[in-house]
Amino acid sequence: MTAILNEVPDSSHGDEDLVDVRQRRIRPARIVLFLIMAGVAVVMLYPFFYMVDNSFKTQAQYEGAKSGFSLSSWHLLFSSEPILRELLNSLIVSAGAVFCVVIISTAAGFALAKIRFRFRTVVFLAIVSCMFVPLPSIIIPEFINVAKLGLLQTYWGAIIVYAALGLPFSIFLMTTYFRGIPDELIEAASVDGVPFTKMWWSLGIPLARPAIFTVAVLQFIQIWNDLLVGLLFLENTDDRTVTVGLALLSSGRVASVPVLMAGAVMSVIPPIVVYILFQKYLVRGITMGMGK
Amino acid sequence: MALIDVARRPSKRGPLGSGGAGWVLSLPALLAVAGLLILPIGQAVYYSMTNWNGQTATWIGPRAYLNLFQDPTFLRVLENNGLLLLAMPFAIIVPLAIAFLLHEEIWGWKFFRSVVFIPTAISWVIIGLVAAQFYAVKGILNGMLSSVGLGFIKTDMLGNTHQAIFAIAITLIWSQLGTNTIIFITGLAALDPTLAEAGRVDGASSFRIYRKIIIPQMMRFIQFAFVITVLTAFTAIFSLIFVMTGGGPNYGSTTLEFYVYQQAFNQGDFGTGALLGVLLFVLVATVSVIQIRLLRVKT
Repeated sequence: MTAILNEVPDSSHGDEDLVDVRQRRIRPARIVLFLIMAGVAVVMLYPFFYMVDNSFKTQAQYEGAKSGFSLSSWHLLFSSEPILRELLNSLIVSAGAVFCVVIISTAAGFALAKIRFRFRTVVFLAIVSCMFVPLPSIIIPEFINVAKLGLLQTYWGAIIVYAALGLPFSIFLMTTYFRGIPDELIEAASVDGVPFTKMWWSLGIPLARPAIFTVAVLQFIQIWNDLLVGLLFLENTDDRTVTVGLALLSSGRVASVPVLMAGAVMSVIPPIVVYILFQKYLVRGITMGMGK
Repeated sequence: MALIDVARRPSKRGPLGSGGAGWVLSLPALLAVAGLLILPIGQAVYYSMTNWNGQTATWIGPRAYLNLFQDPTFLRVLENNGLLLLAMPFAIIVPLAIAFLLHEEIWGWKFFRSVVFIPTAISWVIIGLVAAQFYAVKGILNGMLSSVGLGFIKTDMLGNTHQAIFAIAITLIWSQLGTNTIIFITGLAALDPTLAEAGRVDGASSFRIYRKIIIPQMMRFIQFAFVITVLTAFTAIFSLIFVMTGGGPNYGSTTLEFYVYQQAFNQGDFGTGALLGVLLFVLVATVSVIQIRLLRVKT
């Protein structure tokens, strides 16, 4: 299955002749197909246009009483919501959890793929089968445990929960990736007397760079976008993430829609940038198993 | 597909010895998973059989499970989960069609591919915010209806206890388009092109080639996408419901996953919340195990 990891799912099948034959034969049909696809693209992109468009309106302009553009909703957003603080909180929590996941999953993946030890299979299956534990099923005990540890309303509480939730899939991905790396590389290093624990750092991490990118991109997007954990574990206005801030702002039902849309635009920028820069890795991660 | 590997043992290859190092390197992962995922499942099972408000717990026993099925709200919630399944055919067929189009490499397919994938990077909260505006009384949908002369149809899906869950389901279809299209494009890229080519040489129409040759080969990818989408619908759209309807009106859009939150954190009934969570876990585990079994038989 490393084949899937190693190949970008491009739908180009490299069969040039076949494509040519088809293009020649059904050209009018292809115009229809193009138009259908363009329609789909409009449906997919319209919400983003709507967000940006309405964020530059006042409440009155949004309701259609007046036309034109205005920055007043953006002013209102920055003055009424601690949006920059929330973005910073999101960044701290996501970066912290992603860091933990990358360190722990590369270590475990390296060990589970390349070092033979007792109960290795049991350890692997125990960790990976936790992929199927749904967050809502454990959220109550998790909340109680984190509260008992005194980590509620701290970044650490959210970070460890996010990290734990991301680990099973990340370890699965890392183990699969390391299995695809020839044993000879590791054997050569071990003949040179490098201890295995060091090898993970000096050899494993550099070799696993593509898989690390995949794990990091997938986890970043997932954590940045999560609501439930943030809502329960980072309740204070000063600690909460931008996703939580927006959800609470909207559930008030009194917030002005243009202000909400301005907030939405702000919160969508980081994952969109990550998506544009690392689309390849995100796609790889989703086809490896589960997406968002 | 990747998840088949979950059930497969690690290869026997790999350098010998250094058992200690193996344990040292996997220990942090093992501790985190045991403490933060496995232990809470055990706790949830215990709490599910108690009457517990967060402070004091009294033991009820397995009877708690029977009591729940007497609760009409719980039955309504289960029904809502069932109704979400109605979205599944659309959540599969539309992405499949899009994947076929992209696979045909129509003009601009690389651009379209990026566009279709975008929702995978967007949070459910943002999707829900815009969707709520789409369905609002003065929203996009009613605006579109009146602009084509159908203004007399005033929709208020989010305010209707029987329609809210369908508004959620439609939004779910939109946001799963990207994920499922990626899965199908991967599948199409992995197909054996000689079969379709043979069909074409024999003069079969494109439609026939897709129906008779390509779709049968795609079955395991379709099944995989189906399971992923069911799991998403049942366990990952808390935020969508929170933002769009808050579970209402009158539990009209509360699913099992959302009911966990409502029972525990709105009504302070941690015992029932834990019980609902355990039921959800059993449901998800059953679906996943069936999926792995089916895929294993075929490969």
